[in-house]
Amino acid sequence: MNDLFIIIKKELTELLRDKKTIINSIVLPTVLVPILIFGAMKVTEMIQKSNEEKSVKIGLVNAPKNFYNLVAADTLNKITVYEEVRDFKQLIDDETIQTAIVFPSDWDAQMNNLSTSEVQIFRNGSKDNVNGRATKLIEIYNAQLKAARITTLEIPTEKLTPFTENYVEVGEQKEVIGKRIGGFIPYLFILTMWGGCLLAAVDLVTGEKERKTIETTLSLPISKFKVLLGKTIVASLLGFIPALLNLVGLIVGLKLIDGIPAVFNDAIGEMLNFQSITMILLLLIPFSLFLSGLIIALVAGATSFKEAQSKASPIIMLIIIPLVLALMPGIELTWSTVLIPVLNIGLGVKEIMAGTIDMTQYAVILLSLLAFAVGAVYFSYKKFSDENAILK
Amino acid sequence: MIHIENLTKSFTATTKKGLKTEKTIVNAVNQVSFDCKPGRIFSLLGPNGAGKTTTLRMIAGIIKPTSGTAIVDGVDILKDSDEVKKHIGFLTGSTGLYERLNPDETIDFFGKLYKIPEAQLQERKEYLFEKLGINDFRKKRMGQMSTGMKQKVSIARTLIHDPEVLIFDEPTSGLDVITAESIIELIRESKENNKTVIFSSHIMSEVDLLCDDLAIINNGSIIYNDTFENFKGEMKAKNLTQEFINRVKEA
Repeated sequence: MNDLFIIIKKELTELLRDKKTIINSIVLPTVLVPILIFGAMKVTEMIQKSNEEKSVKIGLVNAPKNFYNLVAADTLNKITVYEEVRDFKQLIDDETIQTAIVFPSDWDAQMNNLSTSEVQIFRNGSKDNVNGRATKLIEIYNAQLKAARITTLEIPTEKLTPFTENYVEVGEQKEVIGKRIGGFIPYLFILTMWGGCLLAAVDLVTGEKERKTIETTLSLPISKFKVLLGKTIVASLLGFIPALLNLVGLIVGLKLIDGIPAVFNDAIGEMLNFQSITMILLLLIPFSLFLSGLIIALVAGATSFKEAQSKASPIIMLIIIPLVLALMPGIELTWSTVLIPVLNIGLGVKEIMAGTIDMTQYAVILLSLLAFAVGAVYFSYKKFSDENAILK
Repeated sequence: MIHIENLTKSFTATTKKGLKTEKTIVNAVNQVSFDCKPGRIFSLLGPNGAGKTTTLRMIAGIIKPTSGTAIVDGVDILKDSDEVKKHIGFLTGSTGLYERLNPDETIDFFGKLYKIPEAQLQERKEYLFEKLGINDFRKKRMGQMSTGMKQKVSIARTLIHDPEVLIFDEPTSGLDVITAESIIELIRESKENNKTVIFSSHIMSEVDLLCDDLAIINNGSIIYNDTFENFKGEMKAKNLTQEFINRVKEA
């Protein structure tokens, strides 16, 4: 056991003296989530503000006075009145106007008869801001006319309202938000974990070959298994630590960044309690060992960093596909999904954050990940013991 | 003392012919036997690809023999290769040093794995650092050192556990004459200290300078094994290099 600690200490010392490792495994994972949260909030805020301040060029045909006044009340609306329908497609394409609202010529008569008329709105579906503002104007005007008709017809409002809806939320807010965003959290953990494991495993195996130290290491009076296990543990630590720092970054980011809706912040705070964090981290330990073992097995025969990265990179697909599946509606943690690596973590974290995890299923996920980790370490040991590959 | 008996190492070579893959078994080392005695320097000579490195790696417990065995300082490599490694100091052109560690950390790392008691390890380390002139750069990272400095640390690393057997595989390959001289000196001193020394080389001037016994290996098999004195006595060519070439060609 002492030999293993000596190997781990030496490998960790070496890796942590490498600037690349410090930046990729410590600095980036810690600041990534706060930067993402802060950045996303700021960008959304900026877009919203900029949209609100933008003027909209509206073309009107046969617009009744009330509607014209409604549009003109907002000084950001630039109105062009047309006497008749024009080629509005062309006018919108060349940006003379951005939308056109066409009322029929007998609009007043139709309104007086209380009949249903039709208003044509010419628009480009991709211009969300313009369309949103035009729709809002139409909705306001429609509501005004309805109210006026109700008054004219002397109909009591309650007669036009057969029922009102009252939704009673029986799920806890934590459960609702947990199920919605819980699937995204493993993306952060697992992808940073993958990056950390890959960098460390390639440096510890292929790097040793490139630096011509592999023969020195193999001449040590300890078994190849201990050397390999030491390397696997260090690679998994360098995968686990970034994932942990991601989590720390998330918690600290939510606490420090202003402007996050209180409901959301409270729910996340409730979700990321000691118990759920411990449960998530417990899943990540065997998973990082599994990833490290797998990567080491794949890169054992590589003689350069480039070759190692091209050999290990396809694993990313095996990670992303189950994570995407975990986000899809209808895919739940069941007895058939608990044994699928990555998918079980994705679904498991979702349930943990929602507070609805079945502890038996959680135990099975943990055990299955441990079994996969043992299998991957054994596989990597076999490859690491292949004299043709390792001394190439 | 090293006793080598019928040591054989086979590798599977894969060749692709169109869609077919053919596997052939190649004996890199074939039924090699020889003895190396304490207080004598044994040279293993051979052209590139003859099987020198494979033989020495098997003796050092780095790779496993396919058949046959080697007894190193009384320990069978087949029974306990990790124990064998404790009795060996192994230095080759490709035993590099960990670039992000300094000499102090490197020697401590090796010393601890050789299970040298702490006080003894520090005493031995100070002795070697003083003798090899490492003190001036003992806190400098290996990656920032010159080849000569690295070679000194490699020697300290090889000797830290005071091994009874020393194995050198083309130890001066790629080194300048001054750095190579430190290796030659180390081999000489080891002989004076009654250690068993085996080294492989194809530099005949080094062999002439150091060798007591020698074996020539070609295509994985021993084609000559005797004392250096007898070898020189049997020489037909004018110099060692020519004699070596002739013997390899005749084989």
